[in-house]
Amino acid sequence: MSRLAAKPILAAGAVLVFLASGYGQVQSVPVGRATDFTSDAYFEAPHERQVKVRLTGAEATPLPGGLLDVKKLKVETFNTAGRPELVVRAPHCTYAPLDGVANSAGHLELQSGDGKFRVEGDGFLWRQNESSLTISNRVRTVIEMPK
Amino acid sequence: MLFLLLFIALGSAVQAQTNAVKAAAGKAPPAPTEINSDAADFDLNARLAVYRGHVVVVDPQMKLKCDQLVVFIPPSGERLNHIEAQTNVVIDFADSHGQTTHALADLAVYRYLVQNGATNETVTLTGKPQVENSQGTLTGDQIVWDRANGRLTATNPYMKSKQNIQGTTNAAPLKLF
Repeated sequence: MSRLAAKPILAAGAVLVFLASGYGQVQSVPVGRATDFTSDAYFEAPHERQVKVRLTGAEATPLPGGLLDVKKLKVETFNTAGRPELVVRAPHCTYAPLDGVANSAGHLELQSGDGKFRVEGDGFLWRQNESSLTISNRVRTVIEMPK
Repeated sequence: MLFLLLFIALGSAVQAQTNAVKAAAGKAPPAPTEINSDAADFDLNARLAVYRGHVVVVDPQMKLKCDQLVVFIPPSGERLNHIEAQTNVVIDFADSHGQTTHALADLAVYRYLVQNGATNETVTLTGKPQVENSQGTLTGDQIVWDRANGRLTATNPYMKSKQNIQGTTNAAPLKLF
């Protein structure tokens, strides 16, 4: 089981710990509003000091049903050497911490760590536990890999 | 003889294109490949992308349309080596002389593999495959476009010249083998 070391940097004294369910750890129920937050999840041993996933956002506001309204979400994944593998950006989404599911009717951008595989589209569903992403409209991919 | 000419013509078109690609490889980096679709699913663990609905792929060498496209995403720094275009596949490509070739199939599988120093780069068309250029049409059970060597080969091939299609000759269509 992955170990999550959630280190949210919270503004305005908000109490909010989230984005942990996808890494196999029960997390706190969000109870307040957070701004400029960051949450890191780490690899299992022997790479337990390496960040596996880093999530940042400009603002997260609790919604009914344990959901979060997140603005300017950025998800970065890294390999065990610390190199970035994937960056996902969404200006706005709804996140279900207990299910590890995020969705939005809005825009989403994804790119590989080296920036040579880029995807964008409108409307998405992200299942953190399965590492799966569905983009439902106007998907555009640009690939600059060697040919 | 007609089938041979068509085969050569198709082959030379591909060869010219391959040469153009090789020439381009030594200069500026190749233009990116762009994929547009209605929707897409990405399995990041399996490194798999499935594009669905009105899929259009635009590449410096060709344009491809299909209903569904499966891209096996390689690790960073490696080239694409496995792509499958499924259902209503239409491929158009042109050589350096502007000669266009039009291909149809139910399934097109792109494979790239370097083995023992040899490069294998193929597009295999199955499901009523058809390749057509200004001189004629090639059909068969399976058509393989060998991009690395600039060859087209077909299983149980059937060649039809454009002259027959246009009615400028009464000769029956030629069947290979």
